[in-house]
Amino acid sequence: MGPEGWLFLFSVLLAAGLLFTMVFFIIMFSDLECDYINPIDLCNKLNQFVLPENGAHAFLTLLFLFSGQWTAFLINAPLLAYNANKIRSKNHMYDATEIFRTLGAHKKEGFIKLGFYLITFFYYLYRMIVALIAESD
Amino acid sequence: MAAPNAQLPPGWVAQWDATHQRHLFIETASGRSQWEHPLQTNSPPLDLLSQSPPPDNASAHHATHTKRRQYAAGQTQAYYGTTEAAGFADAAYGAGAGAAPAQQPGQLFTPGLAAESQFASQQGQPPAAQGGYFQGAEPDYPAPAAYAQPPYVGQQPQAAPQIGQLADQFGQMGINPAAGYSQKPFALYTTNLLTAAPDPRELSRPPPEIRLPPNACISNSPFANCDPSYQRSTLNAIPANNSILSKSKLPFALVITPYRSIQEGDDAVPLVTDTVIARCRRCRSYINPYCQFIDGGNRWKCVLCNYSNETPQLFDWDQTRNVAADRWARAELNHAVVEYVAPTEYMVRPPQPPYYTFLIDVSQAAVQSGMVATATRTILESLDRIPNADDRTKVAIIGFDTALYFFSIAPGAAESTMLVVSDVDDVFLPKPTDLLVNLTEARAGLENLLSRLGEMFQNTHTVGSALGPALQAAFKMISAIGGKIIVLSSSLPSIGTGALKVREDPKVLGTSKESALLQPASNFYKTFAIDCSRSQVSVDMFLFSSGYTDVATLSCLPHYTSGSTFFYPAFNASRSEDAIKFAHEFSEILASPIMLEAVIRVRATKGLRMSGFHGNFFVRSTDLLAMPAVPLDQSYAIEIAIDDPINSSFAVLQTAVLHSTSSGERRIRVLTLALPVTSNISEVFASADQIAIATFLANKAVERSLSSKLEDARDAITNKLTEILGTYKSTMTAAGAGASAQLAVCENLKMLPVLCLGLLKHIGIRQSSQIPSDLRAYAQTLLTTLPSQMLIPYIYPAFYSLHNMPPEAGTIGERGIIMPPSLPPTSERLERHGLFVIEDGQTIFLWVGRDAVPQLVMDVFNLPSYEQLRGGKMTLPLLDNPFSQRVNAIISKIREMRRGPYWPHLYVVKEDGEPPLRLWALSNLIQDRADQLPSYQQYINTVKEKINIGGYT
Ligand SMILES: [Zn+2]
Repeated sequence: MGPEGWLFLFSVLLAAGLLFTMVFFIIMFSDLECDYINPIDLCNKLNQFVLPENGAHAFLTLLFLFSGQWTAFLINAPLLAYNANKIRSKNHMYDATEIFRTLGAHKKEGFIKLGFYLITFFYYLYRMIVALIAESD
Repeated sequence: MAAPNAQLPPGWVAQWDATHQRHLFIETASGRSQWEHPLQTNSPPLDLLSQSPPPDNASAHHATHTKRRQYAAGQTQAYYGTTEAAGFADAAYGAGAGAAPAQQPGQLFTPGLAAESQFASQQGQPPAAQGGYFQGAEPDYPAPAAYAQPPYVGQQPQAAPQIGQLADQFGQMGINPAAGYSQKPFALYTTNLLTAAPDPRELSRPPPEIRLPPNACISNSPFANCDPSYQRSTLNAIPANNSILSKSKLPFALVITPYRSIQEGDDAVPLVTDTVIARCRRCRSYINPYCQFIDGGNRWKCVLCNYSNETPQLFDWDQTRNVAADRWARAELNHAVVEYVAPTEYMVRPPQPPYYTFLIDVSQAAVQSGMVATATRTILESLDRIPNADDRTKVAIIGFDTALYFFSIAPGAAESTMLVVSDVDDVFLPKPTDLLVNLTEARAGLENLLSRLGEMFQNTHTVGSALGPALQAAFKMISAIGGKIIVLSSSLPSIGTGALKVREDPKVLGTSKESALLQPASNFYKTFAIDCSRSQVSVDMFLFSSGYTDVATLSCLPHYTSGSTFFYPAFNASRSEDAIKFAHEFSEILASPIMLEAVIRVRATKGLRMSGFHGNFFVRSTDLLAMPAVPLDQSYAIEIAIDDPINSSFAVLQTAVLHSTSSGERRIRVLTLALPVTSNISEVFASADQIAIATFLANKAVERSLSSKLEDARDAITNKLTEILGTYKSTMTAAGAGASAQLAVCENLKMLPVLCLGLLKHIGIRQSSQIPSDLRAYAQTLLTTLPSQMLIPYIYPAFYSLHNMPPEAGTIGERGIIMPPSLPPTSERLERHGLFVIEDGQTIFLWVGRDAVPQLVMDVFNLPSYEQLRGGKMTLPLLDNPFSQRVNAIISKIREMRRGPYWPHLYVVKEDGEPPLRLWALSNLIQDRADQLPSYQQYINTVKEKINIGGYT
């Protein structure tokens, strides 16, 4: 398997990981709505994952940039910019005092990210297969 | 009545009810039932009425329905402006609703005559002019006809006041208010805002009547529905489904003040002591006067979810005397506001004793401003008033500047030892015991300490404040039990955790970046607040500063821990007014009882959901508000969403507050509000409560200004108003969607535009590049916590003319000091020779016209002439002449007539005095034009144009 195959295999695994993180976020939000968890615990729990999630995504995007995968990079660049902007304006963390007021927005963001990771997952998978076929030819 | 079915109109059936041994008449189409025979009663049920044509042609309807309006006579007089001063003063400033209808005996039984005589008095002579100060001055009240605008006495375009009064007389005769249902349709009275100037007396009217269907309530008690001072809804008739609500554009929210103070003349909250608490098994709501007993009284049907519950066996048993009791005498079946003594299931631990930790700033700034001396003296004088019913109350005093000073008092000792902790990076308590001391046991030591504390730091030169570490220390001290931390801080926290920077930049004020200054600067205060809320610790902030103190960040702590913020800019105790104000407010807070370890939940009829929460608390789950210590007279606003259509004819909103009293009893306070459900949009409009709406909009505006921009908050207010008026025009008036020369609104929403304008011009919201962010942030905390009674004057200041007030004003009437009639807040009413009061509940301005005659200046200020008078903060002298005594009486009445700990400053403002003070006073006359801000006429014209363009939909 060539470098491109490896790169997309790695991307597929990472995208799967991010996908599960988002599923976890959304489950936690609905737990909050059903009063299975209190907002303080929820925020403490989720805030541990925010930076790793953003970091993993940033790492992947930069990997595409440095390996010259322009399409893959351009697909991921907007989300990278969005995350970076949130961190810069210091509202990337979940705030227990405001969580109920902002829950709708958080859920929406979670679903959009989930969809995004799902689409990119299949895209990476496709690219990996294409790369493998190209190699075997 | 052998075969009642035979005589029934179509669509009705009769059903024999075994429990009550009589026929129940049911309308099959709607499922509504009633005891009265449908032909015998001339009362079509509400549902039928909704099919009658909506009163689009309001004037035609008017003739038939005018008689059907009911307001207590006193209230109507207040509104229509007879100068029967006693009635007026009572109605306007009486202690609360519920007491008002009891006035005016002896007028009730000759309605025609009474109405006539009232009409005469209304047309009649103005009271003898006070006018000793200048000859020939006509009192401009109550005949303000000299103005370009029509006078506001009887200015409704269609409703002649005497008819209304006639109706009142009828209204008082026979109809039992407890029944609540006057069996008349809701008529909508349309008025034109362009010609009808706002009348401040409108605001003292009770909210629109709640017309419940007959037999909704099982009790005949007049207290079966909630008093608006405890809980009021923006809509006194709930739309049956969400599409009606969204069509009307009216906001649906609840304004609650669960821990309202009990003043003289108020009824105490009835207490159920036998720990028999009937709650619905399904929805956990409490039994209330709107639940029905079924199955011979063995079961009761929950009014919120229709579940049939078993009646507790002890419901009919008096446990103290061991005899059978009458369940109908039980308080929870007769009172909408009731308190239960809670059994142990409601406790996770024994009720906590009240703990108070005082964090006193002892830095140079604090000592030199006299704050330390005033605070310690106030605590010392209030030691007897601090709640300490069973001698369990504990108190700790911690001083802080750049270090922390703990005071240890051994039980019974008269001396205290000071322990200094100067390592503020890692805070620890220097001693495990004797820092938090029992108020009774360590009384001598505390008194000694408090009287010496000021001296100890008299010559300090330390500058700086370790507020964060001090808070951590106080938290360590009481977090195991919970309680109150009372912070008195004179400078911006500068050392250790929670240090803040001066971030205010005058260039940012008035721009879109301004709202960043109103948001907390440091995360510490939020996370610390969450820790506090978890450990049942509440924080009160008393902030004194000569410079920037970041109220926005520091008020975070009270915000999320259900405390209160007080702000004294440029405090200097050497001015006795400053010292008196602070000492009064501080001692009120110390002496007031608190609800400890409280949680609040609002339950409602199926289909309704609490969707947004505003106020000082921490939202612990979707609908549970956590409050470590509920202070008296703090208000909360709760948005309600209609998720599913409501099928019942009325709905119930029930607030339950589980709490421990300061005397160590676990209790549940339950507030029940029953409101009719309607599918008729005109009923929704006719029952909208403008005061509750304004209170809610104030909360929303503050939320918006923090989450977005101040400008967006202002736009949102005007847009909401435009939407409401636009919808009213298109659905309720003949003009429909086309352009109209009028701006129509129903009578009960007449004041909404001016209240919105007041909000737009409020210091917490208004467009200006001159307002320091500390003042803004403080105003915003008040906007979100004041109960409606305080909030309405805060956004729509009261304005009185004193030089020509009626002779009885300022004297003592049947129910306290009689206030002069209030005027609309506009400078058109200012006269050059006059003496006026402008007050918003937080500040009182005494305006002296430049041509004030020397006699007036002499009588009020004891000075020979206007030239000698100096403007500014002052205490009015009490002189030996009737006018001075009356003015003083009015000022003191203003200070005490509303609920709350506030003690407004009095500023004397000379018409040609210093411009800043003069402009400040004038900015309270909100109907005037000021800078870019529109006058009332301009504002409603803008709104009208927006509606005519149709841009609101
Ligand atoms: Zn129920």
